[in-house]
Amino acid sequence: MAAKILPVVKLATKVTIAGGALYVAYDSGLLGSGEQGSEALGKAKAAIPPAIEEWMKYFGLQAQLPTMPKIEFSPVQSWNSGVRWTISSLSEAPTKASDYTSQGLQYIKDLTK
Amino acid sequence: MSEKELGKKWDRCLADGAIKFGTGLGLGIVLSVLFFKRHTWPISFGSGAGLGMAYANCQNDLRSHYMLHRSEKEQ
Repeated sequence: MAAKILPVVKLATKVTIAGGALYVAYDSGLLGSGEQGSEALGKAKAAIPPAIEEWMKYFGLQAQLPTMPKIEFSPVQSWNSGVRWTISSLSEAPTKASDYTSQGLQYIKDLTK
Repeated sequence: MSEKELGKKWDRCLADGAIKFGTGLGLGIVLSVLFFKRHTWPISFGSGAGLGMAYANCQNDLRSHYMLHRSEKEQ
């Protein structure tokens, strides 16, 4: 009797889990427009530190983990500064090249004097 | 569309793309483990669908500046 119901129960559990996952994804706006998605991301970011704290307390790890250093790294800034550096070095390149060649020629002349 | 607005739209597009890719990946993994005997194709399907949704959203968002919206039509 139990053996007959078991596959049905398994299927029902799987469907529940899958349906629940789909519903959570739909409800938190992950499948909506771009703004809803970034809202959800913001909420998740804000909710992470308290959640980590809770987990630490739950596991009895009272010793404070070294707080994650505030990484002040902005890809946008790095990219922009990289572009600026490239373009400025490209624009200075001919002048610098001629300077170096003249210096080099001068050096060789001095050697052969 | 001003440069700043355009930049913000692109930022939203990329963030949205990452979120939908992750969501699709997660749902694909769940479905693959539960129903499809751990095959790979639900995972690729899910992530691809997520990227597609993000692409459609981005397209709509970037076009919306040039479209006439219903609220303006009433006038």
